[in-house]
Amino acid sequence: MAAVSTVPVSVGGVEDARRGTQPRRSWRLRLGAGRKQRPNILGGLGGFAWLVVIIIPIYYVVISSLRSQKGFFANNPLAPPTHPTLENYLLVLHSNFGMYFLNSVIITVSAVVVTVAISLMAAYVIVRGSGRFVRTSFSVFLLGLSIPTHATIIPLYYMIVRVHLYDSLLALVLPSIGFAVPISVLILSNFIRDIPKELFESMRMDGAGDRLLLWNLTVPLAKPALVTVGIYDALHVWNGFLFPLILTQSANKRVLPMALWAFQGEFTVNVPAVLAAVVLSTLPVLAAYIMGRRYLVSGLTAGFGK
Amino acid sequence: MAHRSLRLALAASVVAVLGLTAACGSSGPSALGTASAGGSKGADASVWVMSGVTEDVFNNSFASWNKAHADETFTTESFANDAYKQKIKTAIGAKTAPTLIYGWGGGTLQTYIDAGSVADLSDLASDPALKGRFLPSTAKVGVVDGKTYAVPNNGVKPVMIYYNKDVFAKIGAKPPATWDDLMALVPKFLDAGIAPFTVAGQAQWTLLPYLAYLIDRIGGPQVMANIVANKANAWSDPAVAQATRMIQQLVDAGGFVKGFASISTDGGADIALLYSGKAAMSLGLPSTYQTIDTANPEFISQNKLGFAPFPAVKAGTGDPEDLTGNPSNYWSISASGTPAQQKAARDYIKSDLLDASYVDDLLKIGNVPPVAGIEAKINASSAPEYYMTVYNMVKAAPSFQLSLDQALSPAAGQALLTNLQQVFLKQIKPQQFVDSMNATIGK
Amino acid sequence: MLLLPALLFFVVFALVPLVGAVALSLAHWDGVGAVSWAGLGNWRSVLADPVTGNALLLSLRIMVFSWLVQTPVSLMLGVFTAGHQRYRELLAVLYFLPLLLSSAAVAIAFKAILDPNFGVGSAFHLPILIQDWLGDPQLVLYVVVFVIAWQFVPFHTLLYQAGARQIPASLYEASTLDGAGRIQQFRYITLPQLRNTIVTSSTLMVVGSLTYFDVVFVLTGGGPGYATRLLPLDMYLTGFTSNQMGPASVLAVILVVIGLGLAFVLTKFTGFARMTSDQEGA
Repeated sequence: MAAVSTVPVSVGGVEDARRGTQPRRSWRLRLGAGRKQRPNILGGLGGFAWLVVIIIPIYYVVISSLRSQKGFFANNPLAPPTHPTLENYLLVLHSNFGMYFLNSVIITVSAVVVTVAISLMAAYVIVRGSGRFVRTSFSVFLLGLSIPTHATIIPLYYMIVRVHLYDSLLALVLPSIGFAVPISVLILSNFIRDIPKELFESMRMDGAGDRLLLWNLTVPLAKPALVTVGIYDALHVWNGFLFPLILTQSANKRVLPMALWAFQGEFTVNVPAVLAAVVLSTLPVLAAYIMGRRYLVSGLTAGFGK
Repeated sequence: MAHRSLRLALAASVVAVLGLTAACGSSGPSALGTASAGGSKGADASVWVMSGVTEDVFNNSFASWNKAHADETFTTESFANDAYKQKIKTAIGAKTAPTLIYGWGGGTLQTYIDAGSVADLSDLASDPALKGRFLPSTAKVGVVDGKTYAVPNNGVKPVMIYYNKDVFAKIGAKPPATWDDLMALVPKFLDAGIAPFTVAGQAQWTLLPYLAYLIDRIGGPQVMANIVANKANAWSDPAVAQATRMIQQLVDAGGFVKGFASISTDGGADIALLYSGKAAMSLGLPSTYQTIDTANPEFISQNKLGFAPFPAVKAGTGDPEDLTGNPSNYWSISASGTPAQQKAARDYIKSDLLDASYVDDLLKIGNVPPVAGIEAKINASSAPEYYMTVYNMVKAAPSFQLSLDQALSPAAGQALLTNLQQVFLKQIKPQQFVDSMNATIGK
Repeated sequence: MLLLPALLFFVVFALVPLVGAVALSLAHWDGVGAVSWAGLGNWRSVLADPVTGNALLLSLRIMVFSWLVQTPVSLMLGVFTAGHQRYRELLAVLYFLPLLLSSAAVAIAFKAILDPNFGVGSAFHLPILIQDWLGDPQLVLYVVVFVIAWQFVPFHTLLYQAGARQIPASLYEASTLDGAGRIQQFRYITLPQLRNTIVTSSTLMVVGSLTYFDVVFVLTGGGPGYATRLLPLDMYLTGFTSNQMGPASVLAVILVVIGLGLAFVLTKFTGFARMTSDQEGA
């Protein structure tokens, strides 16, 4: 199967191949401006096919949120509605959406900032450190990958009630951090290990302590991984449902996933309204992702040159 | 520098969160009521209600109660159905349940009773203020071993056949009065390119009425009563095997719309088949009517929607007027509430539960209240013919069997849903069904 | 030490409740009433139950199929979007959308799309798309694999993209000088350089598909029959729906043990845990 190279092929090579007279190893090879990519047909087709697969359900969500319940099934489900309406969005916005949104932002930002910070520290130690304790800790974190939240929610509930944290936003933040740490540590250690040892050693020889190595060397170099982990953790907390359900109850502690409840009856669901709530819940994260991509993109592209 | 500001941001957000929430934690749902802004006196009871159409009805009722009784106020929270079921169990288990517990009766109520989590309301039930207020078949569900533990709080929901009058007219048929009539209609509908029955099989619980009605029509209500009473091998009653056989005959004859096991109840896609003329009948709760009213009100206003009771089975011993469905929803009082909270709940039930304005609110959203003597109100409502049919069905029913998955213990109910779906999908034979279900007795 | 905060949070909020779950596996509890000692009774009944064996088998199939579907797609998409062309940036954003949706949203959307009468099949008038997707016990497992892939390929794509971006351009340039074509570059440069990322992604994918619950539950409820009653669904249906917290906790412990075992195997036997770099010279 054709693969895509991350590095452009020289223009010289293409022209030579066409002319068929000169060897590939052309003196015309140049770095810098003027490079062009040979079109990757198969890759392009594959990418397009997957795009279609991605888009259809999302398109369905958006389109359906613009329909009303009346006559929902009257037309082709994928055709744009004949009378698009914003009534569902208005309905969602008027049902305390602002408060849910604010709560979600508070718990997501708090949980993600703490998780990324402490996971980075832990990953740094795991990759660069040595000793039994460090290795055992890594295994302990591995254990955390497969703990199903449903199995532990009831003991967790009793714990939270016992320390008088029930129905507080903190009750949502702390366990989220706990459950997000293993995967964050795993991803970050995978990335940090590729930072050449020499960089660390040279800084250490100049007298730098762990703190400096961490903040001045690791953080800038690990930015893509930090953003990846941050996005993943943020999504989990933002869309997380079980902790808010069991560990809070007051209306003023509710978060966005609960915005769907108002439209879920005992036997049927107000599908357009639910989907409108979904779209509104997703837009902020999408915006955050697009902004965060700058840091992903600005990551190293030429490897950690020596 | 970048990292210093990062650290600052980290510190700031942690402090912010702690500050915002430090004072807001509490030691459990029932303790929350006592910390309300209103003050330290008073019961400050709590109640959890269902979100959706009925939410306003409950909120109105408690709001007017709170206004009149400042010393016995209720705080209400609303939850979606499935979310509520998960949360309430956790809360009851930790003795942090709300004062008024919303329930469906049946096996779950039995669980609460066995654990001593709900208070005995028998004195309340025999109180002259309440006696005779509710329709008997509905009130019965809250009575276990002669004691009352739950009282009705919502509309009655019997299952009946909803049918498309146009489609029936097309093939010149009448709603079936007996099962044989029904089976005879099936090929006629199929020839006209119409599915006889539509059902949202993916949801599993939608298949229960077929089993419940058939068992009742064949063997009478005692069969189910024995099963619920956990009598050994109660599922081996011949009515059960016969019922599953008949279901499979209906499936084999093409009685259900193609792909019914993929249709979910979410948006009412199964009902859409009914009002778009692709299916003839649907066996379901009054939510069917409400769905059509929302999605295609002209279908009702143009008198195209018909409703009929489930057909009788010839040579069956069951009364054709027996019903199955959800008689109502119920309030129980949490036994872990403080005496003041429990008293508030009792007072509320005695005076405001299903009172006049409550009844009006229910009728407005299309739920027929389980209250005696409201014929005049029904006649003045927005759909008198339909509501009267529902009301009279429930009033006259000798037996109103609670939905089987609710009536049985939770473990048996879950097993029933899975096994019944396998029956409909022809994955297991009637005898296998009986054996699997017998194994759940007593669980 | 720097390691302690992470360890502390994890131990207190995840491990301690897990110990609670282990304790529950030795008890009789319906979630509402009193807790009583059961010893190994729950373990015996759960391990003897054919539904458990079925759940294990289903989870295994999900893991294998998920890996077979998601890894190649994510790998190629990751490498594809690591390129710097403008349009690839736009594509990368679009590819990421599925991960942003909550599980409830994904399940509701797919249930509607897969409806035999009002779903995508009837929308495109393509009979082949009108199947009993959620009702046919043979098809439904593949539907589940597809939906999981749909939602999680974006995440693994992100991992592979970050990994591919780290590969030094000099390697590719040198190989082009030697006359290597695209496929050869992929086989001899890209794949080996991505080895650690493949292990990370595979570990997360395999263990993740073991515990995957939300979308499958709303999509199929474990049905039809027992066709998608994966291990975490069996755990939930036994515990929260059937009020049997003891056996449910047994299933939870089994799940954690298997997950841990898989993670160990994947990291120890691929040298991942040695924390050395794939990059040349590191």
